[in-house]
Formats: sequence, C-alpha cells, structure tokens
Amino acid sequence: MAEMTSDADRTTDADAPRNLGDRLMRWLFSPVPLGRVAAFRTLAYLFIVWDVLVYSEAARLKSTVPTELYVPLNIGQILPFPEPTSLVVHVCFWGLLILSPLAAVGLFPRLLGWSIFLLYFEWMLIFNSYGKVDHDRFAFLVALALLPTIGRAKHGDTTKSEKAGWAFRVIQLAVIATYFLAAWAKLRFGGLEWLWGTSLTWAILRRGTEWSNWMLDHVWLIKTSQVGIIMFELMSPIIFFVNDRIRPYIVGYFYLFHLVTWLAITISFAPHLIAMTTFLPLERVRPLHWARLGFDRARGRPKRPAEPVTDAAG
Amino acid sequence: MDVGTAGRRTRVVVTLLLAAAVFYGTLWGDDDDFPVGPFRMYSTSHELNEPVADTQMYAVNSAGEEFQFTESLSGLRRAELEGQLDKFDADPDRLAYLAESYHNRFPDRPQIDQIRIVIEWIELHNGRPTGNTSTEEVVSWQR
Repeated sequence: MAEMTSDADRTTDADAPRNLGDRLMRWLFSPVPLGRVAAFRTLAYLFIVWDVLVYSEAARLKSTVPTELYVPLNIGQILPFPEPTSLVVHVCFWGLLILSPLAAVGLFPRLLGWSIFLLYFEWMLIFNSYGKVDHDRFAFLVALALLPTIGRAKHGDTTKSEKAGWAFRVIQLAVIATYFLAAWAKLRFGGLEWLWGTSLTWAILRRGTEWSNWMLDHVWLIKTSQVGIIMFELMSPIIFFVNDRIRPYIVGYFYLFHLVTWLAITISFAPHLIAMTTFLPLERVRPLHWARLGFDRARGRPKRPAEPVTDAAG
Repeated sequence: MDVGTAGRRTRVVVTLLLAAAVFYGTLWGDDDDFPVGPFRMYSTSHELNEPVADTQMYAVNSAGEEFQFTESLSGLRRAELEGQLDKFDADPDRLAYLAESYHNRFPDRPQIDQIRIVIEWIELHNGRPTGNTSTEEVVSWQR
C-alpha cells in the first residue's frame, strides 16, 4: 500500500496519515476536480443516446416480443420492476433518449441523474432477461448510480471535491473488478483447462473477422493469447499502485486490448470503455471551449480571461 | 472538504456492500444475479476436438418461402436463443411467440407458419477447424 498514489495533491509530512485505515480513507476519498465530473457526465450521458439507438438495440426489439419469453433475473423478481411490455420498452427508450442529452449539459444533476439511472436499469433488465446476460456494463451502471450523488459540476471548474473523488474511485474499482473477477470466473467455470482449451477458437468461429480468422490455423497463438488474457486480467489492479505519469500508459494499454478484441471478435465492451475514462484527466478535453476560443480569435477579440488557455496560445 | 462524517460513513458502507455483492456474485452467483453476477464472458473451456456450435433459426411463411429467421426479424439474438434453447426444446410451442413477434413487427408480411432451430456443428481437430460441418435440427414448430 506504500506506493498507493492518488490524484490528490501530495500531502505534507505534517498531516500525512499515520495508519493504514487513514491512508485507505484518504485514497478512497482523494478529491477530483469538478471539471472532470462535468466532462465525464457529458460523455456518459451522451453515450446513452448511442447506446439505446445502436449498441443495445436488442432491448428495443423486445417491444414486439410477447412477455411469455421474458425470463426475469433475480433482481427483477425481488424488486417491483415492470414486465417489458411494448409500453414499458417505449417509455424507457424515449425517456432515455430525451433525458440523457439534458443531463449531458448538466441540468438538474440529481433529479435527471436518478431518473436516468432507473430508466437505464430497467432498460438493462429488458436487455438481459431473454436468455443472455452481457457483462460489459457493471462499471457503467455504477457510474450512473453514483454521478447523481456528486451534484452540480461545471466544465472547467478546478475546485476539488471529495464527493466526486469517492464516486470516481468506486467507478474505477468497478472497472478493474470487471477484469480481475473475469479471470476468477474463467478459472471457476472453465478451470485451468481454459488456458490451453479452445475458448478463443469458439469465439472466432462464431464471431470472427478477417482480422482474426487466420489465427484459427495457429493453435499456439490461440493458446498464447488465452494465457495473455488471464495474465492481463489478474494484473490489472496494478493501476492503483502506479503514479500519475505511468497511469495513462496502462489505461492506454487497456484500450488497446479492447481495440484488438473488437477487431478479432467484434466484442467492444463500449460501456466499460466509457467508465474507464474516469482514470484520465478528462477536464483537459474541452472541445466547446476550444471552438469558442478559435471563434474569438477569428473575430479578432481578445482571449477570454480566467480560462485555462495553455494549449491555445498560438 | 465537502463530505461530512455521516456522508463519509454512508459512502464507506455503500462501497463495502457493493464489493461484498460483486464478490459474492463471482464466487457463488450466476448470470441471474445481474448486475453483480460473475463476469463469465467466454469463461467455459472447450476441448481441442470438441465441435463448435453455431445456432441458427429458419422460418417458413404462409407463401411457402423459407428464410433465415435473424435477430432483426424475430427480436431474439442468437445468444438469447441459445440461452432459452432448453425451454424451446421442452415446449416447442414457445416458438409461436416468435412468429407473433414477427407479425407484430411486420403486420403486412405473410405470417410465419413454421420455425425450426438448427445447430451447425463446426468440427475441430487439435483445435483447428477441419472444414467439416454438420447440421442438427433441435426444435421445430408448425402452426
């Protein structure tokens, strides 16, 4: 734990935490700038628009499927979530499509945030209750559940918040849990044989592409890849033990892994990729602000004061 | 900072509960425990000479035309079909709901009178596809 670092400012020796419990708490709540929250919120809620239209379109298909084929998950039986009738599917679809863009610009962060979380959760129950459960949304669901707890956050705001810090830390933990526990699940369901079996061959034969079909002829490559996948998953928690300089490279490696997976077997893990941006200094990406600066320059107006304009000086 | 003692305590409890739930899911749970079920994507292992299954569905409409009954026509994804295969096998009349789904989606097209689910088995030898495949009809339904 000694090397555990955070996004927070370094503390001075005088107020450095003394025991492990204090350190853990400090790590769990290490503050994050509100501008990062605003950026992540915009990204996550805009993603939902694409998600319901394209990525989880299969849920919308259920508007015509008789509910006799609906096999509720445990949570759908315990909690009073409605059966996915045509009406329920349409309410979720249009509700998410209309509310998400409003939440993306930061309106009513709590009210809209909770509403979207409930609608999206029901959308996911529809998506996953017909015989197949997808595993790429745990961290994204955690993100949607925690974003409303942060409250208001403005783009470009450098004020640091512990509320935001905690939410981001838990989202990050959920991202890494998805990897680490996936390795665990492989060993639980597949056993050690998973390493030298043909799971990847199955995946390629069923959903392969021109990028991956050639691998079928090279069994050693399949096996090496399988060992590589498990190693990567088991080692993923290392990201919590590296410093701010190295962390983006590891995140980059994670994204690269998903790019290769997508090219090979067209599984993208898109919602997980969105949740993973919580590891990055998102507040530095400000397309609208840059556009405004460019516009001002073109009109010959002076630079806007009190804005971080480091990379727009030219 | 902006989190008081009570807020801090609540957040720690939420963190621990979430962690407990997801560890429980991974250790003892199953897909039905969504969203905290085990992350078991492609987690089953297969032997090197075990054939690979690819499940497909075909339908015949009242005009006698046969076509592949894909996800966008039936409303059910391939993986969902596979997940419910036991149920269709036990009660082939459940396939009538898919004919109904098709009719709801395309009220102007001729109705579906027959549906069959087939598995295409792709043979492997030492982990490599041999090029041989065989098809097995697993369930069929007729109006």
